[in-house]
Amino acid sequence: MEPGGDVALDIIVSNVVAVFRVRCHLNLRTIALEGLNVIYKPEFGKVLMKLRKPKITASIWSSGKIICTGATSEEDAKLGARRLARVLQKLGFKVRFSDFKVVNVLAVCSLPFQIRLIQFAKNNRPIASYEPELHPAVSYRIKHLRATIQIFSTGSITVTGPSVQNVATAVEQIYPLLFECGRALR
Amino acid sequence: MRVCKTCGCSDIDVDQARGSAVCMSCGSVLEDNIIVSEVQFVENSGGGSSAVGQFVSADGPAKAPVLGSGFHTSLGKESRAQTLSNGKRQIHNLGSQLQLNQHCLDTAFNFFKMVVSKHLTRGRKMTHVIAACLYLVCRTEGTPHMLLDLSDLLQVNVYILGKTFLLLARELCINAPAVDPCLYIPRFAHMLEFGEKTHEVSMTALRLLQRMKRDWMHTGRRPSGLCGAALLVAARMHEFRRTVKEVISVVKVCEATLRKRLTEFEDTPTSQLTIDEFMRVDLEQECDPPSFIAGQRKVRIQQLEQDLSQKLDEYQGEITLYRDEIETELENSRPKPRGMYAAYAKEATSRTEPESDRLSLKLGFIGGEEEEEDEELEAAAEHLGQEIISQVLPELKGRPSAGKEGQEEEVEEEEEKERRRRRWSSIEGAPKRMHLPLISILGPLPSASSLGLKDTLKECITDNGEHDDKSESGELDLEGIDEDEIEKYILNENEVEAKTELWMKQNEDYLQEQKEKEERIAKEKELGIYKEKPKKSSKKREPIQANTAEEAIEKMLERKKISSKINYDVLRDLNSKGSGSGSSPSHASEDASTTTSSAGRKRLTRRKKQPSKSNLGLAKPASLMGKRLRPLIASSTKKKRTASEAVTSPLPSPTAAATTSPEAHAAAAVPSSPPPVLESVPVEYDEPAEEEEDEEEAEVEEPCVSAIQLLGGNEYGCDAEEEEAF
Repeated sequence: MEPGGDVALDIIVSNVVAVFRVRCHLNLRTIALEGLNVIYKPEFGKVLMKLRKPKITASIWSSGKIICTGATSEEDAKLGARRLARVLQKLGFKVRFSDFKVVNVLAVCSLPFQIRLIQFAKNNRPIASYEPELHPAVSYRIKHLRATIQIFSTGSITVTGPSVQNVATAVEQIYPLLFECGRALR
Repeated sequence: MRVCKTCGCSDIDVDQARGSAVCMSCGSVLEDNIIVSEVQFVENSGGGSSAVGQFVSADGPAKAPVLGSGFHTSLGKESRAQTLSNGKRQIHNLGSQLQLNQHCLDTAFNFFKMVVSKHLTRGRKMTHVIAACLYLVCRTEGTPHMLLDLSDLLQVNVYILGKTFLLLARELCINAPAVDPCLYIPRFAHMLEFGEKTHEVSMTALRLLQRMKRDWMHTGRRPSGLCGAALLVAARMHEFRRTVKEVISVVKVCEATLRKRLTEFEDTPTSQLTIDEFMRVDLEQECDPPSFIAGQRKVRIQQLEQDLSQKLDEYQGEITLYRDEIETELENSRPKPRGMYAAYAKEATSRTEPESDRLSLKLGFIGGEEEEEDEELEAAAEHLGQEIISQVLPELKGRPSAGKEGQEEEVEEEEEKERRRRRWSSIEGAPKRMHLPLISILGPLPSASSLGLKDTLKECITDNGEHDDKSESGELDLEGIDEDEIEKYILNENEVEAKTELWMKQNEDYLQEQKEKEERIAKEKELGIYKEKPKKSSKKREPIQANTAEEAIEKMLERKKISSKINYDVLRDLNSKGSGSGSSPSHASEDASTTTSSAGRKRLTRRKKQPSKSNLGLAKPASLMGKRLRPLIASSTKKKRTASEAVTSPLPSPTAAATTSPEAHAAAAVPSSPPPVLESVPVEYDEPAEEEEDEEEAEVEEPCVSAIQLLGGNEYGCDAEEEEAF
């Protein structure tokens, strides 16, 4: 069993999704026509605006709600959100930056050993679900953390959760379980 | 057996024909008109005889048998029964197509019954649920049926079925054992028609599968693909010619998958054995899973690339030295350096020096790379943008002023283009990764491209550029936001115009549609037939205004149309009839209701317990109905409870009375102190009040039986009504 110390695994956060509001009605057409890097989708009623630094894609609705995806960290997401609000401010809307909330964080982590999925699924019966006909990974949900972990047989796992802290905790929790069903590298 | 009551002897003669039971010793008739359980025959008009009675199915409705025209009279049990019988029929249909035996079908029906009782059929297509139940059975029994078979039969996407199946398995807490590819072998072998040797081929294929399992080829893969590969190899081993196409049609995977499995198997050491050796020997060594090997390969390639680039750098270093020397020589030899480029060179070199330091210090190596890549991208994007604009403007505008502007821009552009070209060419010469030393290698960087550099420089220098209000009040906190960069995100006027034109052209169709729609609406308005937009019927209806609970519930039921089977008269009678301990409290409560309703609130009065219970019973479907109603019901029940709580709470005057007989003095208490009660109402919703209420409810059970019987059933009736509501 793994000694109880900190595992030197690098958890790479690959996507952070956040939502925030600007508290004012936005005219999508203005944004679409006067902004750089925007795509207007009138069928869906939203404007996609891509920022270069930090690399972020934002979906802007006319109600003033904005979803911000593609950031690599929570701070990045916040910075990008604020930049976006600044752009909107410059375009002439009365924005007020409010209700910023990170909604989803996606991280990948590569474990140094392979995993016997069938055994793992058997050991963790109701929580883990493995359907090889549908998806090659075992999907494990930690309810109290509200995190979902997908475990592949090569040892790489992807974790999604509501915050970076949750994600880290989830990885720590699942590591011993995985280690049991693991197969040492050669 | 039975004993005669008069004489006590047990010798009783039962005559079926006459339907009587007589004691043999004393002769007293014990029973008359015994119900006979024999089949009776009746003569038809045609002369033939037919049996009297109907067939009742064994597992049909458990309680009330279906009457002749009973579908509309009885009270909602029918719905559940219908669902179950419908489900049973569909299960049998599908199951027979899959050749499942009766036991499996019965188990599937049991699952279905569980599913229905847990209300998991709601919002799902019946066919999906049935298929999922059947597949559950297949998995638990271990039959060789795939989810793909089911989806084939139903023509439904297999992932949708899979979703339903997973959900049902989770809700019913059924742990389906994992699929073992070995299960499918006999089935596929049979379909491939090996004749007498089917069994041998199967055994070989099984051995191959075991080997594949050991070699980690089967984790995360569809079992059918592995089976296909194993069978193909086994067939070849036994000198049966089965083409890939034949195998695919049986196994239902695509050719690419099969080939991939075969190549993976080829990579394992087992494939090197001859047939005989394979049958005899089992290699000890295990292999890594193929995807893992692929991953390793990628890592190795990356490693190689890194090494290569490092080596390139080293060589570059050497080359730069030579190049510098050569250039200095050239410069010295030439009388004058190239005019503007020299200026740029000076600028660039003077800039790159501090910049590179800063970059390396502050942003780090990798950050610096990204910065430069960003600059390149920005520069490139600007360039492209300018190109597009310059092209668009003259085309679309064709005005002299625009032309002039365009010309000016073009002139600027030309210079930029030149620089870009030089840049791009120099970049192509260098390796893909831009390293800091490359700046010096490339020579003079065009200064225009340092548009991007300028910003980053600014950022570095002016760290806390703009300090505006913090975001506490919702104001935008501008710390760390670079104004200039954001300026770039906003196009200037020309660009706006150009973009507008472009966008209009692009989205012509959509705009056309919108116009037509508006015209249509305008026309309809004139004609007065204007339909409100049928988009989404807003769920916000007016809250029900009612004086009493029964009114409120009535209105709500009318609106929601739970069931036309509810007898509203009975509902009303509940309140007046059901009160066992006299009608005075109810009268008093009604008085109280009038007095308190004058307070102007939509408040429900203190009711008798059992009507409240039956109201709660009816209110339950309402509460399940929708969120909108829940607050109403919740508030109503809460207010009821708090009214009772206020009553039972130690108020100065009615304390003793409240504790002993809250019902009798309820009304008395309420009118005596409505205002303080009203105020304290929203504050506490304590458990004790609820518990007391429950206890009291339990006490007053008997008198309310009649009311519930009127509704025709117990809780099950209520549940059925819930069913109908949805």
